[in-house]
Amino acid sequence: MSERARNIASVAVIAVLAVALILLTSTRPATVDRVEQIGTRIKCPVCQGESIANSPSQMAEDMMDLVSERVSAGVPDQQIIDELLSSYTGAVLLDPPASGNTLVLWLAPLVALALGIVVILWWRRHPGPGSADERPSPGKSRTRLVIGGVVLVLAFAGIVVVAANSLQDRPAAAAGAADIDQQDLSEVSNETLEAVIAANADDPQINGMRLALAERYFDESDYRSAFPHYLVVAEDRNSTDSEAITALVRLGWMAYDGNSEVDTATRLIDEALAIDPESHVALYVKARVLWCGAGEAEQAVETFQVLLADPSLAAGTRTQVEADLELASNGGECP
Amino acid sequence: MPLTGRVLRWTGLAVVGVTVVLAVVLASRFGSDPGLVDSPLLGKPAPEFALEGLDGSDGATLSDLRGDIVVVNFFASWCLECRDEHDDLVAASESFADQDVKFVQVAYQEEPAESLDYLAEAGASDSTLYLADPGSRTAIAYGVFGIPETFFIDQDGTVVGKIIGEADALILGATIDSIRNGEQPGQQITGDTQQRPGA
Repeated sequence: MSERARNIASVAVIAVLAVALILLTSTRPATVDRVEQIGTRIKCPVCQGESIANSPSQMAEDMMDLVSERVSAGVPDQQIIDELLSSYTGAVLLDPPASGNTLVLWLAPLVALALGIVVILWWRRHPGPGSADERPSPGKSRTRLVIGGVVLVLAFAGIVVVAANSLQDRPAAAAGAADIDQQDLSEVSNETLEAVIAANADDPQINGMRLALAERYFDESDYRSAFPHYLVVAEDRNSTDSEAITALVRLGWMAYDGNSEVDTATRLIDEALAIDPESHVALYVKARVLWCGAGEAEQAVETFQVLLADPSLAAGTRTQVEADLELASNGGECP
Repeated sequence: MPLTGRVLRWTGLAVVGVTVVLAVVLASRFGSDPGLVDSPLLGKPAPEFALEGLDGSDGATLSDLRGDIVVVNFFASWCLECRDEHDDLVAASESFADQDVKFVQVAYQEEPAESLDYLAEAGASDSTLYLADPGSRTAIAYGVFGIPETFFIDQDGTVVGKIIGEADALILGATIDSIRNGEQPGQQITGDTQQRPGA
């Protein structure tokens, strides 16, 4: 057989194999019905690489039933597939579309085939070095073989590393109460805070958020909504001293301001002072309740003076206390 | 070196190089989870549904709820992540009960009786609609890959948000808050989803 004939025979064998491969992987039995045909094109979304026609999963069965219904209704195949794509994207197509990014998957085998043919033809027309002198020595050949092997091993190691790093890790489970205090609460609605607090009621870390929500309600004079949250914080053993004092003082003020219950208010504020006798907020609110609610201006003046004697009193608070003290000392009405 | 040797060497190197590049490109997609792609429903009209209640009651249609923000959650008793998020869904539903927000929980690939037993055990919210989905028609229409998955539909009936995985009250509330502010929160992935055992 001439060299030309051998070349033609080689190309023919490769072409026949390629066509056979394409036919084997793409043709489907002509006898299967439309439902089956569509089903073999749709990937089961809850399976690994199985079509809905071949998967035994419940989801695949449900999707096949849906396809069957649509076929019975006379809907064209492509429209049925498009309907599924509108919910699932191309992720449910077993054969990637021959367009866009996935076009390379269809072209790659053809390009590889063409390259292979070119290389074989080139090889046939340009046989290797004729004389032994031109051939590399056995030592050189071994070295090249070793280098080639090392390159291949490194290349595949690189593939493994890239593949491993490319795995799309799902993030950890949803944020728990531990992450709540890290949120910017100013952007969170009262309803959201209520939901978070209700869902994490047993978590001691939730008290900070509970107090923040209660303070929002308090600032809006919504005592009814604030009350249960302050009560929980005041009674919770896990609350910090600062949280408990704030809650007790607010409860006291609401008892006086909302229900005119001066005794209850005084008792609650005294509970706060039992935790910290020098609490500025507790002393100030107690003085206000004594002055405004009980009409005990003298006791209020004494309490204002105790506060002013504390050098750590904030400047803004000191100014307010001095004004109140002057007014109460002169028999003025509680503002 | 003879021309033929050089050509063969470079051809060999080129083949190895192309193979490696192609393999890396393909390998980099091996780990991609189709369930994590952005839902094509985002920004589109939400698929209509008309589902019966789990207890056989009239249930609801999506169009009945138009004008409110609708939170559609797919759940099942066999789904551990669903159990983890259940209290948060109940709390969020009750917290927003007086607001323009409706919670709908659709049982996924489960007999209604099983879902009802689960709700009796875990606790249900009076303000949530618990619906059956025979044949997974609604789950398929929403492109559910696994559960829990939660969809957020704005007042105009457009899908504007999706949570894949367990949702907590803060995420639910913050997503609703952003929709009320006219924003489109988009898709958030918070954790794993589950398939029906044996699927």
